This record gives sequence, C-alpha cells and structure tokens, in this order.
Amino acid sequence: MVLKPERININKGISLNLIKMDKFKSNLLSLYLIIPLNREEVTKNALLPLVLKRGTKELNTNLKIQRKLEELYGSELNVDVNKTGEKQVIRFTIEGPKGRYVNDEKYMTQIIDLLKSLVYNPYLEKDAFGFQYVKQEKENLKRLIEARINDKRSYAIGRCIEEMYINEKFSIYPLGYIEDLDSIDNKILYEHYNKILDRVPIEIFYVGEYDNELTNYLIDSFRIEREDVLKLERESITSNVQTKNMIHEDMDINQGKLVLGYRTGIPYDSSLYNGLLVGSDILGGGPNSKLFRNVREAESLAYYIGSKVYKYKSLMIIDGGIDSHNLEKTIEIIRFEIDNMKKGIFTQEDIDVSKKSIKASMESIKDSIFLISEFFFSRELSKDGRTLEEALNDIERVTKEDIIESSNKINLDTIYFLRNLR
Amino acid sequence: MKVLENKIVDERLYYKRLKSGLDIYFMPKTGYVKKHAVFATNYGSNDNRFIPIGEDRAVTVPEGIAHFLEHKLFEEPDINIFDKFSKLGAYVNAYTNFNQTAYLFSSTDHFYESLELLVKFVQNPYFTDENVEKEKGIIGQEIKMYQDNPNWRVFFNCLNGMYFEHPIKNDIAGTIESINHINKEILYKAYNTFYNPSNMVLFVVGDLSFDKIVERVNKVENKNFKREANKIEGIYPDEPKEIKEKYIEEKLATSIPLFAIGFKDINLGTKAKEQIKKDLTTNILLDILFGNSSKFYNKLYEKGLIDNSFGSYFTGRADYGHSLIVGQSVSPKEVYEEVIKYIKDIKKNKLSEENFNRIKSKNIGGFLMGLNSIEFISNYFIDNYFNDFLFIDFLEILDSISLYDVETRLENHLLEENIVLSIVNPL
Repeated sequence: MVLKPERININKGISLNLIKMDKFKSNLLSLYLIIPLNREEVTKNALLPLVLKRGTKELNTNLKIQRKLEELYGSELNVDVNKTGEKQVIRFTIEGPKGRYVNDEKYMTQIIDLLKSLVYNPYLEKDAFGFQYVKQEKENLKRLIEARINDKRSYAIGRCIEEMYINEKFSIYPLGYIEDLDSIDNKILYEHYNKILDRVPIEIFYVGEYDNELTNYLIDSFRIEREDVLKLERESITSNVQTKNMIHEDMDINQGKLVLGYRTGIPYDSSLYNGLLVGSDILGGGPNSKLFRNVREAESLAYYIGSKVYKYKSLMIIDGGIDSHNLEKTIEIIRFEIDNMKKGIFTQEDIDVSKKSIKASMESIKDSIFLISEFFFSRELSKDGRTLEEALNDIERVTKEDIIESSNKINLDTIYFLRNLR
Repeated sequence: MKVLENKIVDERLYYKRLKSGLDIYFMPKTGYVKKHAVFATNYGSNDNRFIPIGEDRAVTVPEGIAHFLEHKLFEEPDINIFDKFSKLGAYVNAYTNFNQTAYLFSSTDHFYESLELLVKFVQNPYFTDENVEKEKGIIGQEIKMYQDNPNWRVFFNCLNGMYFEHPIKNDIAGTIESINHINKEILYKAYNTFYNPSNMVLFVVGDLSFDKIVERVNKVENKNFKREANKIEGIYPDEPKEIKEKYIEEKLATSIPLFAIGFKDINLGTKAKEQIKKDLTTNILLDILFGNSSKFYNKLYEKGLIDNSFGSYFTGRADYGHSLIVGQSVSPKEVYEEVIKYIKDIKKNKLSEENFNRIKSKNIGGFLMGLNSIEFISNYFIDNYFNDFLFIDFLEILDSISLYDVETRLENHLLEENIVLSIVNPL
C-alpha cells in the first residue's frame, strides 16, 4: 500500500491534502497554521488556540461546542501549539467515527463546519475576541507556562535547548512568556489573528473516506480571501559549538535529570542525515542501544537513558535520569560510547537492528490516522517529496561509513543538569 | 476453536484453549502493518498475599514484587532478550498495574518468531542472587522518578486516604525499602504461582493467521507447568467501608496545587458483566456531572477554579472501587466545596434524559475510535478479560444502561461520608 495524498491548492497558501483510508473506523480533519517563530509574537500565537476553542459565531460557549461534539457521536476536538524547528505550529483536529458505524452517512459536513467556524468564524464582540475569554485564557496560559517545571524530564530537555540556542530563535519557548501577557487584550489579539489568517501558510489534511462532493465541500469551506502568503525561512544550522555550556540547576526532587545537547550540522535533506538517524539509534534508540546497555543494564545508573535527533535544527539530545553523585560517571560512559561511534566500534548487526527498528516505527505510521496526517504535514514543512516507501529505502541504504562520517560531525555543545536535592 | 463476531463494530475474535490450560485469543486486523501480541497474567501489585502453589498457608510478600518480576523475566542465562527481539525488528515491552502483568511486543515483520520468543522468555524464568541485586538500582531509579511526579503522588495519597488495608494503596513498584527485601526465592514462589498457564492469557491482534499462531505457541510453550484445578487468586484483606483519612496534603516541586477528590465505593462484590456495567454506568454518571460539556465544569472553568486538566473517572474490581475527580487549581479546597454542594443539589433534582443520551452517544464514538488502535485493543482486551468480559461486546453493555441505573448509582455511590481530598501543594 503506497500512501500518497491528493494535494489541492485552495487559494493563496491554503492547501488541502486528502488521504483515502479504508481500514480505520473514523475520519480525521486537521488544520495547521504555520507561523515563523519569533520572540515578539510567540505569546500571542500561543494564546490564539486557547481563545479560539472557547466559542464560534454559532456556538458561542465551550459548553455548546462540547455538546455538539458529543452529539456528533463523541467526535474529538484537539487543539495544540508546538515548536517545529523555528516555526510555531497551531493545529486544530477533529476526529469522528465513520458514518456507516453510527447510521448517519452525511454528518461529516458538520465536522467540517465546526472546524471551519473555530478557525474562520470565532466568537467576537465588537471586532474583537470575547473580553472574558481572552482574560481567562491569559490566566490559563500563564499557568501553563509556569507548569513547565512539573514534568521534570521535558523541563530539563527544554532548558538545555534554551541555553544551547540562547542566541537563536530555536531557544524561544513555544508557549510564550508571562511578561508579554499584560500587553495583550482582546482587541490586540484579534488584530494579530487577522494578520495571521491573512499571511501564514495553512495546511489542511483529511484522512478517511470521501467522495467528490465532500472534496468540494472542503474546498468551499476553507477558501478565504487573503493577501500574499509569507515565505517561510529555512532554519540555519551549524555543527560548530556556539555556547559550550555546563549548566547546573537545583530542584527539590529525588532524581536528577541529565541532558547533553550536540550540534550535528547535518541538514535533514542531506543523504548523511539518514546515517545520523541510524547512528543515534545505535547509540541510544532503544533497549538494545549502547547507552541502555551500559548506563542502565551494566551499571544500574538509570532507569531511562536515550538519544534523539531533532530534525529541523539538526541537533541530537541525550538524556537520562540519574543521581547527582553518578553525574561524572554517567557523562564518562556517554563520552566513551560516542567516541566508539566516531571510531566505528560497532557491528554490522548493530546497524541492521537499528535499521529495522527505525523502519518499523516509520511503517507503523500507516496504522494511526493521526500520524498519517502528521507525517504528510512534516513532508510539506520540509518540502520532502519522497513517499514513505522511498524514505524506508533511504534508511536501508545507509552504510557503516555513513554512520561513522555523521558521528564525526556531532559536537557536544551544552551539558545541562537538573540536580536533585533530595 | 470458537469465533465470536460483533457485526455492529465489524470485528471478530477467535478463541482456543490449549491442553496446558492456556487461552489464546486473536483479533484479525486486515490491512494493518503492525502486529501485536500480549502475554499476560492475572497478577498485579494488589496480589501481595497469596497461597503459593503446592502449599497450604498464605504468605505476604514485599510490596513491588509483581513489578520486580516483570523486570527480571527479561533475564536469561546466555542471551539478552532485548537483543533477540531487536534482531527480529520487534519492539518488546512490559507493564505491571494493580491487577495484571503484561508482556508485549509489536512488529511489522518476523511476527511468528517473535511470538515464540515471547512465550519462551515469559515461561522460562532465570533469577540469580546477582541479577536480582543489580535490578534494585534500576528499579530504585524508577521509583524515584515517580516520586517526583506530582500527579502520581496526589493519586496515591488519595488512595491512602481511602483505604486502610487494601494493597491498592501501595505504589505498584513498591518502595526502595520494600524492594530491598526481595530475593530470588520469593520471586520464584510468586512466579510459580501466578505464571501458571491457567492464570494467563495470550492475545494477538493484526493481519495474521490464527492457525499459525496456535501452532507456534503449541510448539514452544512450556509443558512442565502442573495443571492447576483451582483458580489462583490473591487474598485481599477485609477493608472497612469507611475512609481512613478525609484530607491528605504533601508539598512537591510543582507550579500549582494539584488535587484528587476520591469517592470510595461501598457497592462491592460485582463480577464479570455486572462489574463492567457498574463501571460504565459510573463513568457515564461522572461524565454527565463533571465532563467538559457539563454546566458544573464550565462554571468552574469560567471562574478560573479549574482548567482543562480537570477530569473524572471510576475504576474498580470486585474487591475495591473508587471514583476520582482530579485536576489542578489555585484553590483546590474551593473546588472540593463546590463538588460537595453540587452533589447535594443534583440529588434533589433529576438527571436529564438529554444529557444522558448525549454521553451515551459520545461513548459509542469513543469505543469505535479506540478500535483503530492496536495498542488500545490490546490494553482493553487484557483489562476486561481478567474481569471475565470480552470487550467486543462493549456496545451491548452500553446499550443496556438506563437513566435509572445512572441515577441509582448517583444515590448509592457519591456519598459525602466517603470523600477524600488529596492535595499536592507547591514547595
């Protein structure tokens, strides 16, 4: 089964991607707003989805929206804001069961209407968003930003990235900053939103069952008059160490969190990038990896330890949960294992295992209606025209030399340690 | 072989019992790339008191032993299990909860070889003094990781407020102190009792052949287990109907107070379909009262008392049960007061038919969408199976629930004298 979306340009910078899928019991509709990440606007953008989901012109309260979704057989609305490279991406998704399972073949148009209203016809008061809604959601956003510290692992990774890219846009926190909130009100936010709707690229994905009639309905629903669309800039990357930090932060917790940030300088469209992916998997991809075996199994230093490549900014992160007194020992093992990767001290079997693992997780995308839309969205972001099958072949073609070459390009930039005081 | 079919959701379930007493279930998923198998035992952290197989007196074992066993089964004398699965391109994992321990893998290729490996490694324990000691460091780190998780802490504190004796109040992984008492002898004792094939189930889902699955399992399963005539069960203490403490508070590194409001269930003893129906009825009730389409939710949200982390659910078995209302708030005590007042008010009025029907409709969609996911199917199957219920008949149970059932549950379950408030405050 080769997945290939049917791509239709609706008008300036608005595209509809249709992916036919029979095997799922639901259909899914997602809309993405792709906004360049910048310090001035990040907080306003993060606030937008919170305010938009409070009410539409027709359904002016959350209660009405939620009840509507329940009537539509428990269709699920999901709103999210995320950092993808140096872009801030706002996503709206509604997934609902296919009509044939609920004896209501035609109700998908109501899902489309609802998503359209959420994005294009928000609840307004005199040419501004609802005053109370903005006020309340500013408070909620403030709490969300403060809640960063609650998940210690993701907090530590986020802090490492922040320090490592301190002079680059990539350091910007995607939910924004508390100090910006005071200057935002319902008028300012609505004006800002109009600019966003006028200028930023919009990608729409529909996965499931559809016919010509539904396609036309989607096209008509999401067409809006707008200005010329913004050109998105590609992230700049480098393998040269920029900050060379060793950061310690203390917290009253039981387990320390160690994060090492490496610059790789290998762009995602370089053929060497596949070598980096396989190399990172050998190093810290799963229970078979070097780090898992040596830090966890051999030395009992950690419960979790692993490495991961961040695509758009070409960095690699290694992170693990350890006790403070094992910090040096753990770093030493990590350095030793990275050196081995650079020297080519790993086997053909290691390579085969990692290729299989990467390919299996890529193929598994086909079993999730949500991941299918995410996958093709990321294809659009990176202007990557390959099918999933071609991408799988590219992984298969990686050689030991590719892995050694890519491993030699990675440079340790920042070590971040969230020290446990308990 | 038996085939159970549900035409409404368009799914089938194949079943066969092997000579060893092991039950195998299979759900075909045509067109799926991923294939998934789970081998589970009806044994979780709650079962820390039991009569070991072949003995006649009950023993109490250290907290955290089911979870410790789960870690240690991955150990073999000469091979590394993770290695073996990795070489087949399969991803292996395991989990322990209050009631079950499950070992599972997913793969896109070499499924049947991985299946053989799964059955073999779970059925061939290898514990040594040395490898048991080594694991204590790793599990110690796992316990510490959970101790830093405010959601986990507020949850367990609430359980500790509700229960005096029942082991549900203990952390699944045990404590650093309790796991120190674990040795290979205790592990073997628990293993031999609960990993008997008659106490286990194998469930497979994916685009596969049932005949081949049965043939492969038959070939490799350990046939040395004694057939156990009696049902193997943990022994649970007599738990008073009352709650232990009304209020529990802890301070942790968190940005905002977290709360869990627990209602201890006193209508216990239900099993199988009856238990599932009670479970679902209570969850519908909670959704009507506290779900994000309820007036209560929206009122508190607009007041700034709760955010979208607010939620509620019921969970239970024959021997325990509780509803939890959880979330974060600048003022958890106010939320608590509002909840109490609201329940009093709602008992005076009737629940609306319209709200009830809408929440039912929502459950239909939720279940259908769950059937998209192989992982959901696997978890849901195992959880319900050990409750003597086959999950594909979920919609029939849902259909059988009336507004009257929900109102009765409101009267009997949401009782003011059985409420516990647990709060985790920032440092």
